[in-house]
Amino acid sequence: MIHLTLAAIGVGPFDTDLLGQALILATPILLAGIGELISERAGVINVGLEGMMLSGAFFAYLATWKTHSLAVGCFAGIGGGLIFGVAMGLVAIEVGADQIVAGVAIDIAALGLTGFLFEQIFTNLPQIVVPTIGNIAIPGLSKIPSFGPALFDHDPLLYLGFLLVPASWFLLYRTKWGLAIRAAGELPMAADSAGISVRRIRWMGVLTAAGLAGLAGADLTIVQVGIFHEDISAGLGYLALVAVIFGRWRSLGVLAAALILGGANALQLRVGEQPYIQGAFWGAIALIFLLVLGYQLLRDRGRAQIPAISVAGLALIAGVVLLATEPHISLSQPLWIGFPYVVALLVLAGSRTSAKMPSALAVPYRRGQG
Amino acid sequence: MTSQARARLLGSGIEVVLMVLVVIVALAIALIFIAAYGVSPGRAISAFYQGAFGNEFDLAGTIAKMIPLSLVALGWIVAFRAGRIQVGFPGQIMVGGIFCSIVALKVGPLPIAIHLPLTIVAGMVGGAAWAWIAAILWAKRGVNEILSTLLLNLVAAQVLDWWVQQPFHDTSSFLPQTLPFPNSALYPTLLANTDLHWDIVVVPIAVVVVAYVLARTTWGFRIRVVGANPQVARHAGISPSAIGTQAMVASGALAGLAGASLVLAGTQTYMGEAFEGGFGFLGIAVALLARNSPWGVLPAALLFAALSQAGEVMAATVNISSQLVGVVQGLMILLVLAATTLLYVRRRRRRRGGPGVSAARAAAEIRGPEVGVAG
Repeated sequence: MIHLTLAAIGVGPFDTDLLGQALILATPILLAGIGELISERAGVINVGLEGMMLSGAFFAYLATWKTHSLAVGCFAGIGGGLIFGVAMGLVAIEVGADQIVAGVAIDIAALGLTGFLFEQIFTNLPQIVVPTIGNIAIPGLSKIPSFGPALFDHDPLLYLGFLLVPASWFLLYRTKWGLAIRAAGELPMAADSAGISVRRIRWMGVLTAAGLAGLAGADLTIVQVGIFHEDISAGLGYLALVAVIFGRWRSLGVLAAALILGGANALQLRVGEQPYIQGAFWGAIALIFLLVLGYQLLRDRGRAQIPAISVAGLALIAGVVLLATEPHISLSQPLWIGFPYVVALLVLAGSRTSAKMPSALAVPYRRGQG
Repeated sequence: MTSQARARLLGSGIEVVLMVLVVIVALAIALIFIAAYGVSPGRAISAFYQGAFGNEFDLAGTIAKMIPLSLVALGWIVAFRAGRIQVGFPGQIMVGGIFCSIVALKVGPLPIAIHLPLTIVAGMVGGAAWAWIAAILWAKRGVNEILSTLLLNLVAAQVLDWWVQQPFHDTSSFLPQTLPFPNSALYPTLLANTDLHWDIVVVPIAVVVVAYVLARTTWGFRIRVVGANPQVARHAGISPSAIGTQAMVASGALAGLAGASLVLAGTQTYMGEAFEGGFGFLGIAVALLARNSPWGVLPAALLFAALSQAGEVMAATVNISSQLVGVVQGLMILLVLAATTLLYVRRRRRRRGGPGVSAARAAAEIRGPEVGVAG
């Protein structure tokens, strides 16, 4: 998140535009991630998130084109996610089959279905750009000089995504439902004997994740770009899954992860169009490694963490050297597009979070069979 | 024949019947989609048959498509038997292709007897190396291999894009593609003027090898023990993380072999950006339909190859998008999954077994290698 902090101040390529862009790109990850958080806390992992997002994106686009109504488009997006949510629920909850394989199947089916319908409906038409949901500036706050417009002049779905963070925390930790959700994901048998219907709670979780993933898809087509193309979600659903794991199954954690991944994506778009990598980029990387190094030293004072420390140290030195010399290194655009996914892999590799995982995650529950 | 063996035979008989039913249901749903676009079912079925088996060219195309599908499916089976769900086949195919292009274009000139095997091995090494990243992340850092392989697929797609645009770009072409490979690095054609090449011989060899290794060797036994119950394996002195890593790397090598077939035995002699063609995920569906049996891969791959080949032809003959194959594919996985789980639950209920093995396995799968002990 360092580059976002830098962006708020405005250093080099890290200007407030980058900050605003990062928030926009974090929104679909956040929307789908919060839904997935609730589903996983209830004990169902949903790898089909990507497919649900894609389906939401397509149906939101289709409905907006047909009805010229963005509200209908949003609901169509949610509906597009829910179609596959029902399929997921039937296979994963009612039948009790392997949730992960079911999720992969949903991704494949959604890619096929949206591609098929898109080709059948739109092949002979010129590219249709549908209207997009406009921005609503928050009075007062958006007038703050420098970062005001970047933070407080956005579309309603973005605000909704950020509001869902405290809302999901409240749901999970301060309501009876939240208790039931967490019980269904931790100890379904105990929840069952306490009179909670694990089946119903898990259905709610799956459908929440599916609906929000569909809305995240709608965010892509009828907020961000106004067009649809095959596989437009391009892995954002997987990034949402990463966000839940990296966020240690907490609302705030999911927010932080979504900001990191959205920020990486915004940075990729920004730096990718520069002729060469600017000094500030190397500086930010050096800063990140400096923090990692400090964290390692603080945390493992007694134990030797020599490989990690030496790697972080070497990277730090390299970063400083590159910052000082500012060589004309450039990466080709496809490699920059891959950058957020590499960040996601590093994020996964850097987090040992299994201890916080809901105990019954991905374990089907059948009454009468512990 | 003992009653137990008879029961087992009956059981696998039920499975085969179930799979056939699943295929029929999925195809019927596809027919509904097609009918919605005004093509009568009779015409669709005949167009399907014509497209997949109608003439020598299409039949050869169907058989040629079986090759990458079977190899990927075998790769899935090897990893799955060890309890690992790796879904990184698209990425491993792409990196396999990239490695092939290095050896094909930068090594030589060599006679085909040396150059071709070398190129194929390079493809396998590429696939294995890409799978190894996910394997090592899983074994050392507890990173769920499903997520890491999905992300690695996305990275590989970008690396391939870059590869055919920059370092290996054929500068005489505007398209993102490599220079044509020399003939010494390509599989020779088996049937003139068709897509069928000599790589078809790889399939029976791979099926026999995988079936033999899994069923008859110590390593195969270890894989099966680790997959069935990591705790038991650990007590027996078998390291689940080591075996899991090896199985994933072997799985990636098979995907790399599929990648080699796609670049060295395709319709073109160069490597483009889209050579993977969706075979990586399609192969998973093949393995699931085959009930994770190496021998079952052959009929399942034939079915899916026929679907893809007919899908391509039908796009032209009856104007139905070939993307429909994806819908059928996803549906088949869901239906196979549901049908076999129901069968399995019923059987276990009859046997009055203990706590669900599948539950323990799901937990171990998602928790990564070391943490499984604590759970």
